[in-house]
Amino acid sequence: MAWVRTLLSRVLEAVAVVLVMASVVFFAMRLLPGDPARLVLGDEAEPAQLAAIRFKLGLDASLPVQYARFLKGLATLNWGESLRHPGEAAASRVAESLAPTASLATVAVLMGASGGIALALLSVGPWLGRRSAWIDRATTAVAATPLLSFAPLLTFALAARARVVPLPGDPDAGLGGLLFASALLAVPLGAQVARVSRASLGEIAQSQFLSVARAKGATSLRTWVVHALPVAAGPIVTVVASQLGALLGGAVVLERLFERPGLGSLILEAYAARDLPVLQAAIIAAGGFFVGAQVVAALAHAAIDPRVRRP
Amino acid sequence: MIRARLLRIVPLALLLAVSGWLIARSHAQPDRVDLARAFSAPTASALLGHGEAGVDLASVVPHAIARAAALAVVVALAGFALGAPLGAAAALARGTFERVVDRACDLVQSFPSFLLALAVLSAVRSPNRVHLACVFALTAWAPFARLSLAEARVLRGAAFVEAARALGASRLRVLVVHVLPNLMAPLAVQLGATAAAIVVSEAALSFVGLGPRDGVSLGSVLDQGVFAMLRAPHVLAVGSVGVFVTSLSLLIAGRAAEPRAR
Repeated sequence: MAWVRTLLSRVLEAVAVVLVMASVVFFAMRLLPGDPARLVLGDEAEPAQLAAIRFKLGLDASLPVQYARFLKGLATLNWGESLRHPGEAAASRVAESLAPTASLATVAVLMGASGGIALALLSVGPWLGRRSAWIDRATTAVAATPLLSFAPLLTFALAARARVVPLPGDPDAGLGGLLFASALLAVPLGAQVARVSRASLGEIAQSQFLSVARAKGATSLRTWVVHALPVAAGPIVTVVASQLGALLGGAVVLERLFERPGLGSLILEAYAARDLPVLQAAIIAAGGFFVGAQVVAALAHAAIDPRVRRP
Repeated sequence: MIRARLLRIVPLALLLAVSGWLIARSHAQPDRVDLARAFSAPTASALLGHGEAGVDLASVVPHAIARAAALAVVVALAGFALGAPLGAAAALARGTFERVVDRACDLVQSFPSFLLALAVLSAVRSPNRVHLACVFALTAWAPFARLSLAEARVLRGAAFVEAARALGASRLRVLVVHVLPNLMAPLAVQLGATAAAIVVSEAALSFVGLGPRDGVSLGSVLDQGVFAMLRAPHVLAVGSVGVFVTSLSLLIAGRAAEPRAR
């Protein structure tokens, strides 16, 4: 079972990535110039207060001891207590904010992947004739447009001026708000997926198995969707997986734009308030979220492509 | 068609020339405030209008574009200098080294670099452009390494590389004299793409409040624009267009070196 081994190595890699990410957070805080306790309290803090914070953050121990404690906490999901909201565990604040971001990202991936694949099918299929070149040009142009420059403008035009969609930060925006925010996030992803799927489908367009399918009387739609798409899925899943990092960055930007609760808002709030335990926990959780999605992508690839699934 | 391709530098050159002209013309500092004019609309004397606390956008934006472009070019060049030899060396060495570099590029490229930036910048009291450059350089090498790995895989079997080996050239000499010069064209295209991505990242970090404290950034202009979206839509428009134009002109300039279609 070769794919089980591949999957296992992917999971091990995911664990390693989370570990590296967490260690970067740990060492950046301790080794870069500047005292974390002063970062929290400011320059005018009393020595006694500084000592108390150092004790609370465990900064009074030696570096190897701190790192060992940190790794133990990481493994047991014990990420310390919020400095700004005493008594509240950092992990529970992260858990609260995970759901909005996860739903935003999931809906965006579904929209972007299905939209991109649909555009690629339109472009490669016989339905549009010569006009299909316009799709390729449009996706290239959209892929070169950063989310940061069109999301605020579209929000202004559609949500603030024309009011055709609700502002996603509005607590009672509900599903419409989620869909609008996800659609914005899905646009760059969809453009990338469309370009890669177009190339991937174009490569197999002349294959014999597609001619066989046509000869047996399959319609164009059936030929492309049922026979060609699963074979072209590999690069498509890979491009979705490779865009997840950018997607997460985009989610932070959108959460800030809409003042929508979520992991990104939590990270920015904890950064502004210098709430170090919450900040660390949120960044590590976001990293874990990202590698988890990568493993899911590897699984999806194995499930879709018959050549990977075969033992 | 060499000339037509070289024309692709024109948008970037124009953008920088106009920015430079505006910087030279307005002697005022970009962060000079004039509270009476906060968020006032464009006029003949202030072509782009005023932003938060009355900063003159026609003075802020050129500075922001010039600084963002300089940061992006420096980091992209650093990524190029680190990544290109690494990828080419991996392709020539083959074996485990090649696989490790290949997989590392995969991981780093798909990594949420925005998170990495947050993680590192959270330890810094007030981030400045040197910090940003270091953070971006942590991941900027990967696309160059991957591209030069892929290209050098093709080149390593070429007759001229084999001939150089047969004539007794050392590995280093083969790498520096025979392989690297042939990688320059595709890597130059990547240079533009990386620089464009860094302009956007810098703006995104400033937008969420992790940018340079001086506030002279396209991201801060966007942030002001979102804050005053209904009162002063021109600020939002200036920020959006600024990010778009700067990143796109860098992207296009990189493609000036694009090799002819094979």
